[in-house]
Amino acid sequence: MNYEFTEILETIKMTEIEHFDIRTVTLGISLRDCVDRNIEITKERIYDKILKYGKNHVKYAREIEHKYGISIANKRVSITPISIPFDRFAEDDFVEIAKTLDKVAEEIGIDYIAGFSALVQKGFTNGEREMIKAIPRALSETKRVCSSVNIGSTKAGINMDAVKMMSDAIKKTAELTKDRDSIGCAKLVVFCNVPEDNPFVAGAFHGVSEPEIVLNVGISGPGVVLDAIKSAGNVDLQQLSEVIKKTVFKITRAGELMGRKVAEMHGVPFGIVDISLAPTPAPGDSIADILKAMGVEDVGAPGTTAALAMLNDAVKKAGLMASSSVGGMSGAFIPVSEDQGMIDAAIKGHLTIEKLEAMTAVCSVGLDMIAVPGDTTSETIAGIIADESAIGIINDKTTAVRIIPAHGKKVGETVNYGGLLGVAPVMPVSKLRSDAFILRGGRIPAPTRSLTN
Amino acid sequence: MRLTEEEIRALTLSAMEQLGERATPEAVKKIVAASAAELESKPDFEKSTKSSGGRIILTSFGMNAPGVVAAITTGLAKLSCNIEDISQTLMGGYFTMIMVVDISGSAKELDEIQTEMNKIAEELKVKIYIQHEEIFNKMHRI
Repeated sequence: MNYEFTEILETIKMTEIEHFDIRTVTLGISLRDCVDRNIEITKERIYDKILKYGKNHVKYAREIEHKYGISIANKRVSITPISIPFDRFAEDDFVEIAKTLDKVAEEIGIDYIAGFSALVQKGFTNGEREMIKAIPRALSETKRVCSSVNIGSTKAGINMDAVKMMSDAIKKTAELTKDRDSIGCAKLVVFCNVPEDNPFVAGAFHGVSEPEIVLNVGISGPGVVLDAIKSAGNVDLQQLSEVIKKTVFKITRAGELMGRKVAEMHGVPFGIVDISLAPTPAPGDSIADILKAMGVEDVGAPGTTAALAMLNDAVKKAGLMASSSVGGMSGAFIPVSEDQGMIDAAIKGHLTIEKLEAMTAVCSVGLDMIAVPGDTTSETIAGIIADESAIGIINDKTTAVRIIPAHGKKVGETVNYGGLLGVAPVMPVSKLRSDAFILRGGRIPAPTRSLTN
Repeated sequence: MRLTEEEIRALTLSAMEQLGERATPEAVKKIVAASAAELESKPDFEKSTKSSGGRIILTSFGMNAPGVVAAITTGLAKLSCNIEDISQTLMGGYFTMIMVVDISGSAKELDEIQTEMNKIAEELKVKIYIQHEEIFNKMHRI
């Protein structure tokens, strides 16, 4: 036989017991040709184009799931950041566009469509200001639309006016969706150094340098890595790194194969495989559990950042060896609400926002899905976003903030969204204020690291 | 099928070309409307997306009982699937069998074969997993 018994059983164990699934196949669609001076015609073009390319997305993904016996958790669509093609429109029009996106997403049977986005790291166009103003209504009046805004980059610095506008938008979104635990904020990401080919919603969009249509895939697999670490036993850290690399290599190869096959069925080019370890609230499918298995008592203990740095680096090394199409975020995600181990650590008070901030300096993304008291001020949220972005521009990496100022809730309470979004305990935020710094406005200049030529 | 604006434009141009001298706005409009209605009433063109063929790995687990191998192999034979390799072992009283099966000769698609095998699995009270060979090749071979 071409394969060893143990090899075949290993694959089946991964898919059947260790929650190995492909997290997302995301179809990126350019909407740059959909603009018209008439908003009604524009909406029709958007609807028709997404329907045309996306109508078989779910069906194709299901067929590939059956063929390889590995499930694909999410089938999603990302689009050109809408502020770019539709820059001529005003706030109300952008809300209308969001509703059109929501409708077509429902029609093609997907749960989220991402790309209600703008890139304003250096400054705003008129349309971008209008689009950002439209975000709270767009997110509260739709179910499936996700929004992201990039407010800083190593090359441009941090647009502090955009930071303030986004913290206002987050507060407003929390208020407008207060009946549902401020769920609108779970669909809104503020980025620094955003990648243009990220398949993971809510931060996905179809970047301006991408082709007409592309299919990107995001793998998952914390459960598989966790089991590999547990069965490795008491080995030293170099050996542990080997164990992680071998496992991630295999899941990356499987992920790329599945992505390529779905792209083949669509007849569209395959883009990238994002090798991020993405947790879910399911037991065992947790980054926190991996860190604990590595030897820290709980997330937040001294040593957590070092363990996470090593994990993240091993994931990247293995992914780069396994595929020549690695892109997107490609690291380890540490969302609080979507990871049972992180939720527990936050409830026990082991994990604070400050420790999380340090952890985000060594892994992908940033302060993700954290709930804070509803009375946290817009300026304080702006300060948190600015800190996270500073880590991004100085370290030349992507950072993001997806924060939920849970309307009417205090520390000790929780917000509960169910499903993949999970449960978030409201975490305490420093009461010290930086209003004077935030309200200066303007732009934090690009760091010396931007001068690489 | 809903026509896109480009398709309607192409339709209009071809109508104008065919009418030549006789093309008046009304005549063109009438023809385009009629053909658009006809096209839109047609169902969507569905390209054949079946991707079967090649080899699959069939893995079966269960309590050791008489007739398990016979039932599975008979089932595969009925579907014109060719067993290329078979390997089995007992692991702590559990019967484990792995087969490499060529399904190119079968008239059935992979999902139909899976459905048939699931029926057999239920009858025999065993678990049967069927996965395309490519996944093992990618994961375990560089």
